[in-house]
Amino acid sequence: MKRTTAWAATAVLAVAVAGCGSGSDPGSAESGKTTITFWDNNGGTRTPIYQELIKRFETANPTIHVEYVGIPIASVQQKYDTAVAGGDTPDVGGVTTSYLANLVGQQALEPADDWLGKSAVNGKLAAPMLDSVRDTVPDGKLYLVPGTSNLDVVWYLKDKLPEAPKTWDEFFTDAHELTKAPDQYGYTIRGGAGSIFQVLAEMYAYSGVTEFFDASGKSTVNDPKNVEYLTKLAGLYKKDTPEADVTNDFPKMVAAFGTGKIAMMHHNLGSYNDHVKAHGADKIGAFALPTGLSGKRTIVANPVDGFAVFKGSEHKDAAWKFVEFLVSKESNSYWNQQTGQIPANTEAQGDSWVTALPHLKTAVDALNDPNTAVVSPPYYLPQFSSITKADTEPLFQKVLLGQMKPQEFLDTMAQKLTDAQAEWKKATGG
Amino acid sequence: MASLRRRAVPYLLISPTVALIAAFLVYPIGSVAYYSLQNRNLTRPWADGFAGLENFRRMLFEDELFWQSLGFTAKWVVAEIGLQLLLGLALALIVNESFIGRGLARSLVFSPWAVSGVLTTGIWILLYTPGTGVLRFLGQPETAVLGNLDTVFPAVVVTELWRGVPFFAILLLAGLQGIPGELYEAAAVDGAGRVRRFRHVTLPHLRDAIVLATLLRSVWEFNNVDLLYTLTGGGPAQVTTTLPLYVAQRAIDSKDFGYGSALTMAGFVILLFFSLLYLRLSRFGEER
Repeated sequence: MKRTTAWAATAVLAVAVAGCGSGSDPGSAESGKTTITFWDNNGGTRTPIYQELIKRFETANPTIHVEYVGIPIASVQQKYDTAVAGGDTPDVGGVTTSYLANLVGQQALEPADDWLGKSAVNGKLAAPMLDSVRDTVPDGKLYLVPGTSNLDVVWYLKDKLPEAPKTWDEFFTDAHELTKAPDQYGYTIRGGAGSIFQVLAEMYAYSGVTEFFDASGKSTVNDPKNVEYLTKLAGLYKKDTPEADVTNDFPKMVAAFGTGKIAMMHHNLGSYNDHVKAHGADKIGAFALPTGLSGKRTIVANPVDGFAVFKGSEHKDAAWKFVEFLVSKESNSYWNQQTGQIPANTEAQGDSWVTALPHLKTAVDALNDPNTAVVSPPYYLPQFSSITKADTEPLFQKVLLGQMKPQEFLDTMAQKLTDAQAEWKKATGG
Repeated sequence: MASLRRRAVPYLLISPTVALIAAFLVYPIGSVAYYSLQNRNLTRPWADGFAGLENFRRMLFEDELFWQSLGFTAKWVVAEIGLQLLLGLALALIVNESFIGRGLARSLVFSPWAVSGVLTTGIWILLYTPGTGVLRFLGQPETAVLGNLDTVFPAVVVTELWRGVPFFAILLLAGLQGIPGELYEAAAVDGAGRVRRFRHVTLPHLRDAIVLATLLRSVWEFNNVDLLYTLTGGGPAQVTTTLPLYVAQRAIDSKDFGYGSALTMAGFVILLFFSLLYLRLSRFGEER
């Protein structure tokens, strides 16, 4: 009797353990319906936009069901890495060029060139965005179909600052003059997660250096003019900006700006809705980062955000159909109108709402200005993201806290970038 | 045949346990040990391969942050355990007295322990937020407690104390209730005052509870990731980065799993020491 019990117990355990492995079969939830999973790489405020688009897509394609998963932007890279390592990727995912090289390096994505060649949206996607995607990967294929692009701007409160500064000198003067004890600040610095990109954008806009690496492959990050800018910026900390800036990440920064205590905040077009919610559309202004010492405007190219089909997908055609739908004129226009960003679909770019929104007009004007130079950060370097996040974000905090000199900080970052570039060139035979 | 079957039964019976231990302990530990000897970095796939002891050399001789995080971990564990023990004991003694509303007081004392780590952080971040947080009552509304090098350590210690003190209080209260009342009466008859009763009756009886709670909690505080990760992310400028947090930064944020594994092995060795100490001391308690 005892032995039988033991056998039974073992058998139950064995079944239980085996059951863990098999999992449920995706894709055949309802009879004849294909289910695809879509990961939004910036879940949260964008979720309702996708819910609406998915509803429209499912009405047009009754045989496909899209399962939406909103991933918080801060952990999206980790989530993708874990999913790739575990072989549990979505069918379609929101991906930006800042981690595209990483995913392609892990052979996680399917190139979309053939699909796009036969698609109705072919020829209707902004060429600079397509180029930017192709330049990010060694084989030049289109692993990501662009949906939107972005531009760094400084948001400001119109009642505090009647006229936007044109030069960096004016900017620093305004930041100082708008600061009033005890709790009114002219500017806020992003010191937490995501700080480095904003610092790069400001430094290059100030210095006017137009290449990320010089001819010999050395990083220009520690160019004397860049150091000069960073020294000025670090000098603002705790004087014309709040002390809390040192740990400011995106949500904290936007929340602080929302309180109305801060006059100017550097971010990109993407936070427009947050500011409108906090202050109302008529109170908010935006200006492109001021022109630099040379009198010319220099812009650090933002990552292109779009959609990728994953190699592990069992329903690639359905997945592509969804991607194609998302970048079609109507969907792309809707998405970008809701988020206040620049559409990738050139037909959508001509829509009246684009020209009607002042901040978007500012952005498009800055981009289309023949005097504007664009610096492309090396998104193709698989190490770029860890260098500009985990490796240097804590060091930037040291700069703000006065524990590290701007020169030393930029030298460290430049060395890492130079090494990574040389190593990558050797590895890819470039 | 029958005897073979008879001999097989014990092995069969322990096989599920062995299989589970192999799958959930031996394999993961073995794989971390294996990767600690490898170059394994997702951002540099071309350099992957056997590394020998290179990761450990880098960790011990080149990586200032490793030593800094180890130093902070020690400071963190000592501060937390010392204060939690003291305050926990005080709380346990208070709620062990009989007074009106004792039941309510006990539940209130223990309630923070039931709050999850991330929620605890959520509450304290709000309390520490400049402008709207608790500091405006101290006339310092614009001080960013978590962004200031002088205040960040006390701030995180207080937050963890809020959650950790109840744990000590629960364990020590259980110990207090196990002390027979006659001992106190006898001591009182012999002329022992409050302080002497505490020293000669209470403390000796609480010894085992104190030793075990201290050791267990030390391991937990050493491994604390949830609270610090969500409260400060190890910052500013990595001054609140414990060793496990540093592992997370290297392995998960920088995708350098080889080096992260070497760091994990260092933590493993330290915790192994604590575990052995715990085993020794807990057996020691049984014998008496």
